[in-house]
Amino acid sequence: MIKAKRIVYLAVVLALAAGPIVLAQTAYSQRAKEIATKLKCMCRGCDMSAGLCAHPGGSFSGPCDTAKGMLKEVDAHLAKGESEQQIIDAFVAEYGSLVYVEPPKKGFGLVAWLMPVAYSVVGLGLLVFVVRKWAMKPPAPAVPAGTAGAAPNEALARARAQASRETED
Amino acid sequence: MDVFGSFTLLLAFVCAAYAFVGGIAAILTRHPLLVKSTRQAGMATCVLIFIATFSLEYLLFSDNFSQAYVVSHSNRDLSAFYKVAALWSGQEGSLLFWSFLLSIYVISVLIAYRNKNGELMPYVGVVLAGVQIFFLTLNNFVESPFKTLAAVNASGMLEPFARMDGNGLNPLLQYPEMVIHPPNLYSGYTGFTIPFAFALAALLARYPGEKWIHLTRKWTMVAWCFQSLGILLGAHWAYAVLGWGGYWGWDPVENASLLPWLTGTAFLHSVMMQEKRGMMKVWNVWLVFCTFLLCILGTFLTRSGVVSSVHAFANSHIGPWFVGFLMLTMAVCFAAYAKNRDYLKTENMLDSMISRESSFLFNNLLFLIACIAVLSGTLFPVFSEWFTNNRISVGAPFFNKVMIPIGLTILFLTGVGPLLAWRKTSADSLKRNFGWPLIVGLLCGVAAFALGYHDGASVLCLFLCGFVTWTIGMEFYRGGKVIASRTGMGLLMASHELAMRNTRRYGGYVVHFGMVLVFIGLAGAAFNTEAQKAMNIGDSMNLGKYTLVLQSADTKAEKNYTAQRMIVEVLEGNKQIMMLYPEKRQFQGTEQAAGTMVAIYSTLREDLYVVYAGMDPDTNMPVIHAFLNPLVKWIWLGGVWVVLGTLLALAPNRRAALVMAGAPQTASSAIAQALNPGVPLREGHD
Repeated sequence: MIKAKRIVYLAVVLALAAGPIVLAQTAYSQRAKEIATKLKCMCRGCDMSAGLCAHPGGSFSGPCDTAKGMLKEVDAHLAKGESEQQIIDAFVAEYGSLVYVEPPKKGFGLVAWLMPVAYSVVGLGLLVFVVRKWAMKPPAPAVPAGTAGAAPNEALARARAQASRETED
Repeated sequence: MDVFGSFTLLLAFVCAAYAFVGGIAAILTRHPLLVKSTRQAGMATCVLIFIATFSLEYLLFSDNFSQAYVVSHSNRDLSAFYKVAALWSGQEGSLLFWSFLLSIYVISVLIAYRNKNGELMPYVGVVLAGVQIFFLTLNNFVESPFKTLAAVNASGMLEPFARMDGNGLNPLLQYPEMVIHPPNLYSGYTGFTIPFAFALAALLARYPGEKWIHLTRKWTMVAWCFQSLGILLGAHWAYAVLGWGGYWGWDPVENASLLPWLTGTAFLHSVMMQEKRGMMKVWNVWLVFCTFLLCILGTFLTRSGVVSSVHAFANSHIGPWFVGFLMLTMAVCFAAYAKNRDYLKTENMLDSMISRESSFLFNNLLFLIACIAVLSGTLFPVFSEWFTNNRISVGAPFFNKVMIPIGLTILFLTGVGPLLAWRKTSADSLKRNFGWPLIVGLLCGVAAFALGYHDGASVLCLFLCGFVTWTIGMEFYRGGKVIASRTGMGLLMASHELAMRNTRRYGGYVVHFGMVLVFIGLAGAAFNTEAQKAMNIGDSMNLGKYTLVLQSADTKAEKNYTAQRMIVEVLEGNKQIMMLYPEKRQFQGTEQAAGTMVAIYSTLREDLYVVYAGMDPDTNMPVIHAFLNPLVKWIWLGGVWVVLGTLLALAPNRRAALVMAGAPQTASSAIAQALNPGVPLREGHD
């Protein structure tokens, strides 16, 4: 009987002793880590996301204390049953828009997303316009490559001849 | 030596000023002696800058700790290897190094063309001297590397004093690649000055377009090669040292180095339009201008602290100087263009909508969109702060979402371009040319999917990689077959012969192939996995098919750092594969700065990337941070091909004596071939 009690006692002590280690290793959940890849580590020293913080140059290349704090915060939100978007919104409310790694898809942040689309549309439009314009011109008389577009200008021809002599290599 | 160094820098400034002012006078008066003396002043500027640079190195090597720069970036224990690198590790030194590299280019140009291009060179000399004056102004009057330390003595007077030892070099820079990455990148940045000088000079001198473009192309390729190599080495350094498991983080400084690379790449393609068809003259001039301006802009972003970055140099006061120079350069470009734009008059014409020409137009559009997207993304946090007083983060996820579609479209065009003939491509030949590459591409895509790469963009990327590789292979095969049949060589030898006869074209294909390899590597990034675990000796952790067993962990004092070392046994199943030795280095003299020595077991399939993260602050147990990064090795292999391809493209063409023997070459076609090596033996493919 006494022996059994001792074993139970020992097991409890061991469990208590081992607890912090196990906890330290899983201080935050995998899900928290995933969500935290969208949140910027706010330590201002590493410029990485809290989920991927390796803190280059720091004495510990893992999540730094700031990132760890943020990861735990994400877990706290998760425990309340909040969705990813709700958690991100909560962080933005707490730290400002800087904390979200992407520009928000609303307000001024939307401009960042629309800009590349706008360049592409405008650029493509211009290109199609230019190609059509150039393609509509009557075909030029065949000229040897390299001298295409040469104007029948004597001075220019002389300059070209001189240039080709000088740049022979 | 410091007085000597600053004096030579001052003399260099005077010489550059003379080369600039005298050069303008020489252009106006056309006095041959003045032309000669300004050219020699240009050379003297370069030599003086070389001497000043060596003076700073001498101070670093002689541990002269009365020098502010030496104190800040070196210490007695620093190995000679890194004392060389200390030259470009700080703001002042790196600006001097910038002048130094620029001078190598300038003196090469001045010597190489001393008896050539008489009409153009005085203009080139003036532009180059102008750029040198700007950097020498910084070197002399703003960020002098030759500042001595001074302290107030007992009687209240300033007197020089020397420290016993320096602060040492930033530990993150104490890595072999950090010694070769900055010189490469700076050689790229400074190298783009030469095409810029030729373009601006040609515009000012109304020099025939084909000629400046011919001169410029090679210099652009040299700068482009250095820039590519610099970017890749930087990525590799980030990968191997920073210990975060990645190689590219869309950091503002990385982006800054990509911008001129993108416009430079666009130029290397559109230049062919001008050479072959006399088109896009205005466009090309502006591409060269923009490339140079982006180099300056990039330097400004890097060094002014306008955008936050992990890279050093931030928060210095030289920002306004760069803005001023940028504005001035832009003004000069616009003025030159406004004055002489009639000389760029181009007869732009397309025979067909589907042709090599139009594919080049698309190529240029995409590179430009890529460039503007990276630029605007990088600057967006600044914009948002201006307009809304609210700083918005534009991080890697944003850039990935925007750049992956653009990058894949460019990759697609890499395969399509060579299939299209100049002037006009018939639908028939298109069908014939596209069939096999598409099939091979599809097979690659299916194989990738079957191998477990389940990510849309990655599968698409690998499909395109197969497609492009096949088109490149076909180019070599078809050309090689023609030569083989005429000469009786084996196909492999014939393909080699083919490449040597038209180095530029086939060098270009080799570069394309290198980029394909890089893209294969990038496609792997979607499948990176990682795990972190605090371990006792004998503990193990699993990552993918690997098991890592911690064999030992200890601490060893080295000359200027303390190493926390770990021995990790790597098992695959029950079979031991190898031992890895990751390290964490805590450097002395610097506060809390640590470097990681990542241990990487690299195969073509994946990298097992093991970091000794340090002691867990809570449990004081050693922590392993391990990453499994598929396909990364392909990126570095691709880089090697890119460099080899560029070198091939720079090599002179071998004469095609054997082919021409059958069909006597007319003098004019021989000249056309010599002048314009880009003209392939067979144009088009049908």
